[in-house]
Amino acid sequence: MPIYLDCNATTPVEPAVAKLAARFLEQDFGNPASPIHDYGLFARAAVEHARAQIARVVAARPDEVIFTSGATEANNIAILGLAQAALNAGKRHVITTAIEHKAVLEPFEALGRLGFEVEILPAGADGRFAPQQLAAALRPDTALVSTIQVNNETGVVQPLAEVAQVLAQHPAWWHVDAAQGFGKELEQLRQPRIDLLSISGHKIYAPKGVGALIARKRNATLPPLQPLMFGGGQEQGLRPGTLPVPLIVGLGEAAKLALREQEQRRERCRAFRAQALAALARLDVIQNGAEAHCLPHVVNVSVPGISSDQAIHALKDVIAISSTSACTSHTRTPSHVLAAMGLSSELAESSLRLSWCHLTPAVDWERVIDILQQLRQA
Amino acid sequence: MNQLFKELEEATLEQHIHGELPQWLADPVLEVARNPHQYAESEYHVEMLLAQVREYDVYAEAGCCKWAYDHEDIKRTLRWLHEAQQGPQKG
Repeated sequence: MPIYLDCNATTPVEPAVAKLAARFLEQDFGNPASPIHDYGLFARAAVEHARAQIARVVAARPDEVIFTSGATEANNIAILGLAQAALNAGKRHVITTAIEHKAVLEPFEALGRLGFEVEILPAGADGRFAPQQLAAALRPDTALVSTIQVNNETGVVQPLAEVAQVLAQHPAWWHVDAAQGFGKELEQLRQPRIDLLSISGHKIYAPKGVGALIARKRNATLPPLQPLMFGGGQEQGLRPGTLPVPLIVGLGEAAKLALREQEQRRERCRAFRAQALAALARLDVIQNGAEAHCLPHVVNVSVPGISSDQAIHALKDVIAISSTSACTSHTRTPSHVLAAMGLSSELAESSLRLSWCHLTPAVDWERVIDILQQLRQA
Repeated sequence: MNQLFKELEEATLEQHIHGELPQWLADPVLEVARNPHQYAESEYHVEMLLAQVREYDVYAEAGCCKWAYDHEDIKRTLRWLHEAQQGPQKG
């Protein structure tokens, strides 16, 4: 099997997480909405424990954590769930950035169809949007600002501290899509000005199918979100449906481990990165996104003279990599993120994303470079 | 692992001396905290117990929404913990 270098698409499940989730599949399978016997009571206690574990990572309160099926659903609840309150307040202006995941851009398109004026901030060649441009775009009728924390394609960390300053005196709701940074880049997400945070389990070694929207209270009141689904009172009425306890418990455990083992994980990723960058430098690759702002577990490069498809295919027995977001890699459309950063279509079409984690074994970089050099000569 | 039990002891003493955790509830929790070898296989329950002790509120059930833990929660978790020592039941 090739070495898996696509951890931004999904991570392996941490063994301790899998063990705990299995226990709640096989043995402790109660429904937390039935706290009338020990099965239900234990399930409820486990869910509340997970809620607190997740809240702790971002310095939130447990009752601000709303479980969802993943970050996509959390993004949709955050963005579309605020629409009615914005309309009621006569605010129809919303802002996001050109380097968001489709799970943010498409709900914004939906807001556009509802009559909102959608403003999309550009990105620079470094892979970041500019907070000054946000400041210039803000209006009295701006209802919502949504910014990504860490871009999924480039690994570039966005200037959230500066955004917090820009928004300090503005009442707009601020949503952060933290799918790629939650549990990895910790301090940014503890910023109390952030109203809404979307997180995903399967990017931090928990199972797929679970995530959360963290909705911080202002003056002891949750943001005025409306549910997108109906049929039960779970999750404070915002996300009805029986809670998937094994997945939630897994997400809680993964959040705990992310806090406890952050430094060791980062160190392993840094060491891996040094080897990866040294090897790739021999191919005269062009890094997409400023190295100074990249998280240590991901790098996006363009390999001039070799198309992404060719490289991925040629390397498939050695390393498993991608060229773009997992959610768009099957569509063969050019990366909207790299285009927003100003890359030519030629460079965008030769881009590769390599992403790893603390569980990734060593890679035979000599073989990787040999294969790519042969491909280039051919 | 020992760090977890140390934190449980510290949190329990803090809540008992400076908070409202009663002696009759603090004692069995301290018994767990001071016997890490005996409860080493029940790390998940001990973590749950630690969180409940930290968030203990004698009036947890009094409001409209329950976001803290009261003596019933802690008693129940202690029971699950002891049952887990005896075999694969709730925990």
